[in-house]
Amino acid sequence: MELAINGQVYTVAGEPDRILLWVLRDELGLTGTKFGCGIGMCGSCTVLVDGVPTRSCITPVSAVAGKAILTLEGLAKTGPDGALILNPVQRAFEEEQVHQCGYCMTGQMLTAVALLRSNPRPSVAEIVAGMDRVLCRCGAYPRIKRAVARAAEIAGQEGGL
Amino acid sequence: MSEPATPTDVSEPTEKDKKQRRITRRQFLIVAGASGAAALVGLRVLGLPYARLKIAEYLDSSGGPPIGIKAAPTAWFEILPDNRVRLFLPKVEMGQGVHTALAQAAADELEAAWENLEVLSAATGQGLDDPVGTSASNSVSSLQMILRQAGATVRQMLRAEGSRQLGRPVEDTAAEQGFVYVRTDPAVRRSYGEIMAVAPTLTVPEQPAPLKADSELRYIGQPMPRVDLRAKVLGQAVYGIDVRLPGMAYGAMAHPPSVEGKLKRAAAGGAEAMPGVVKVVIDQKNGFAGVVAESREQAYAALGALDLEWDAGHLWQQADVEKAVTAGGAGGVVVQQEGTVRNRLRNGAAVEAEYRVPMAYHAHFEPMTAVADVKNGAAQIYTSTQAAVSVRGDVAAALGLKPEAVVVNQPYLGAGLGHKVETKAAVEAARLSQAAGRPVHLVWSRSEDFQNSFVRPPTHHILRASLTADGRIEALVHEQASGKVALPFLPAIAGAVLGHDFGAWRGARIGYNIPNRETITWVADLPFLTGWWRGLGLLPNTFAVECFMDEVAVAAGVDPIELRLRHLPEGGIGERLRVVLLAVADRAGWNSPASAGRARGVACCVDHGTVVANIAEVSAEGGQIRVHKVTAAADPGVIINPNGVAAQVEGNVVMGLSSALLEETTVVDGVLNPANFGAYRILPMSATPQVEVVLLQGDDKPHGIGEPPIGPVAPAVANAVYALTGTRLRRLPLRLGTTS
Repeated sequence: MELAINGQVYTVAGEPDRILLWVLRDELGLTGTKFGCGIGMCGSCTVLVDGVPTRSCITPVSAVAGKAILTLEGLAKTGPDGALILNPVQRAFEEEQVHQCGYCMTGQMLTAVALLRSNPRPSVAEIVAGMDRVLCRCGAYPRIKRAVARAAEIAGQEGGL
Repeated sequence: MSEPATPTDVSEPTEKDKKQRRITRRQFLIVAGASGAAALVGLRVLGLPYARLKIAEYLDSSGGPPIGIKAAPTAWFEILPDNRVRLFLPKVEMGQGVHTALAQAAADELEAAWENLEVLSAATGQGLDDPVGTSASNSVSSLQMILRQAGATVRQMLRAEGSRQLGRPVEDTAAEQGFVYVRTDPAVRRSYGEIMAVAPTLTVPEQPAPLKADSELRYIGQPMPRVDLRAKVLGQAVYGIDVRLPGMAYGAMAHPPSVEGKLKRAAAGGAEAMPGVVKVVIDQKNGFAGVVAESREQAYAALGALDLEWDAGHLWQQADVEKAVTAGGAGGVVVQQEGTVRNRLRNGAAVEAEYRVPMAYHAHFEPMTAVADVKNGAAQIYTSTQAAVSVRGDVAAALGLKPEAVVVNQPYLGAGLGHKVETKAAVEAARLSQAAGRPVHLVWSRSEDFQNSFVRPPTHHILRASLTADGRIEALVHEQASGKVALPFLPAIAGAVLGHDFGAWRGARIGYNIPNRETITWVADLPFLTGWWRGLGLLPNTFAVECFMDEVAVAAGVDPIELRLRHLPEGGIGERLRVVLLAVADRAGWNSPASAGRARGVACCVDHGTVVANIAEVSAEGGQIRVHKVTAAADPGVIINPNGVAAQVEGNVVMGLSSALLEETTVVDGVLNPANFGAYRILPMSATPQVEVVLLQGDDKPHGIGEPPIGPVAPAVANAVYALTGTRLRRLPLRLGTTS
């Protein structure tokens, strides 16, 4: 089975019901996607599948074959001069110094990317509604809220995410 | 990671070593003196009750570890040829920002350029001997001065050697931002890296170098960005769960199905023939059964095929727990006694109330995890731990190795919250690796994490007070019962000597200036493990004491802030508390009415030298409590990083609200319940109020900030709910319609 992850094609062997999270982490070494609960409740394992936030801990690889999978490792780009170009969401999360332990932030940042792609200028209420299912135990919510709003501003100035 | 110092480098330095140390591998070690905990003397001569009281006072004032701790944290600087500076710390980064704050202290005095800093947790193999671990809100307060002195001393040494290499007298040079340069001609300079690259002989001075004046500080006091943030934003930071070793296999462990569960009989069943299975490991005598396989899925599949028989033990229910945790009766230990409470209260207390706080789960998002590589009589452990020294000891004991043969490496933690003092997962991974002859990666499932380790203990509180005619508190007694916190993790003798658990009564003693006051504690013996949780007893005890203060204020007909101001502790703490209370009142608009349908409540605490006061503003529609705003004023003394301190206050408010409104673990049919998120609710963004943080610096030393702000959150909310509804909620989580 072939998986397209961060613009790269990986061939994955084994049963089609293998869980995407463990294939990413244990087989492909993409450990930026985190294991939290295993039942799709906390959001730490979020990846984007064709742009849609998806809980990789309950997603069989067969469900994502042939689709574009984005993990946190693929969010930043490399410029023509080799320089690292952070996504506006990553820059905003740095500006607001959002992370505490940072473990849930894969899910927070990727969910924010999907939210801002579908709604480039969300209200505070729309940010809360869009982010509410990704939990954060350190309690960084006030900063996450600010950072998503800030990311919208940056993306607005620079022509999108 | 770079080549660590060899263990021999960190043995006690001889006098000659101290004076002159040949620097090799561009790496050197500074052994900085750290004052250990004061020895507790006089236990025999003074008699037990008095000694207990003294120990209680000592522990309450220091917030420190119990008897016999040799706290000698050491720090390492490594200066690379390209002028990068690596700082190895004995404390782990689990979200609390200590790597950044401690780097600020070290790099400021060292005069290293911020962008050239790399901060890592030291492995035990580097000579780490920090039995305190990363806990008790003490990382910055215990280490920052040591790191400043070490940084200043290294800078002085670099300047001396740089001056020599530049052929100039020291008086003509300065050391700034990673360079030693000639004052009159700054272009003539050598970087720290260049100075170290020629393997010089540096003289370690007898005395630490003088520190910078406050006006010269570059980083201390500034909102420096988190040193771990870029790696975390890119998904490149290595947490314990992310460690990968060549040839690694995956483990899965059989855990008891109930809190008293014991393995009665175990056999491999069909597990050995399952696909990918490397090894089935059964040690029935020690209740150990696990599987190692080529993949995690295969390991869990094989685990399901093991032939196991359990003795479930007694099937405990929640009512049994609450019965066991009851204040009053025989066996209480007095941990505070001033004046004559009993006489004052004999004629009946004016105010009396009981409170209960339930068990709770830690809910760090990275479950317990470890990678172990055991071979040739030695073990390398990589684990998310707050207690590397405990991991080293427990792994060594389980494997039959000497502690020196076990090296514990400390990656980032996906939060710890007190739970990651637990060493079980590391021991399990080590035993599996030893049996399989391969490195083994182990992650507990979320349900294993919920159900196979300790939880926050349940507590019960009875408070009584009498008042004078002029609205002052004449006497106040706090009787407090709790499951254990610290005792399960100390030698058995500690419990016998102390008779109480300092972790359980943290925050229980009455700090207010009341002439007659007493705190009595009961240690409940529960059939399962309870233990450390962020702030230990601080959250439940502050809930009880600060709600009770609100009840007393109502009885006395005095504004709750005014009541606290009338009973401020004596001395400097009292003055700091006054300033903090007035600041929070001012910022929250305490003296103007809340908008329609809302009300405010206040609570405060003093913990680990830090003073915190919260005002919560709430509404309640359809019986649902909604917290709209929490104003939190905190005075942690000297603030190394205001943004980091604010983040800790915000995070404590959110976690405190989560406990106040949602969290509860119970025992049902002998099993801890719930067993996963969803059923176990933690606060989501939509229930998070506006959090306004006011920071004050009322002392010239830094104090803790990782835990103290969690104290006043729940009582501020409960007091606001009373102000709004007239209903006094005395049990967490707060639910309208359930009074005690």
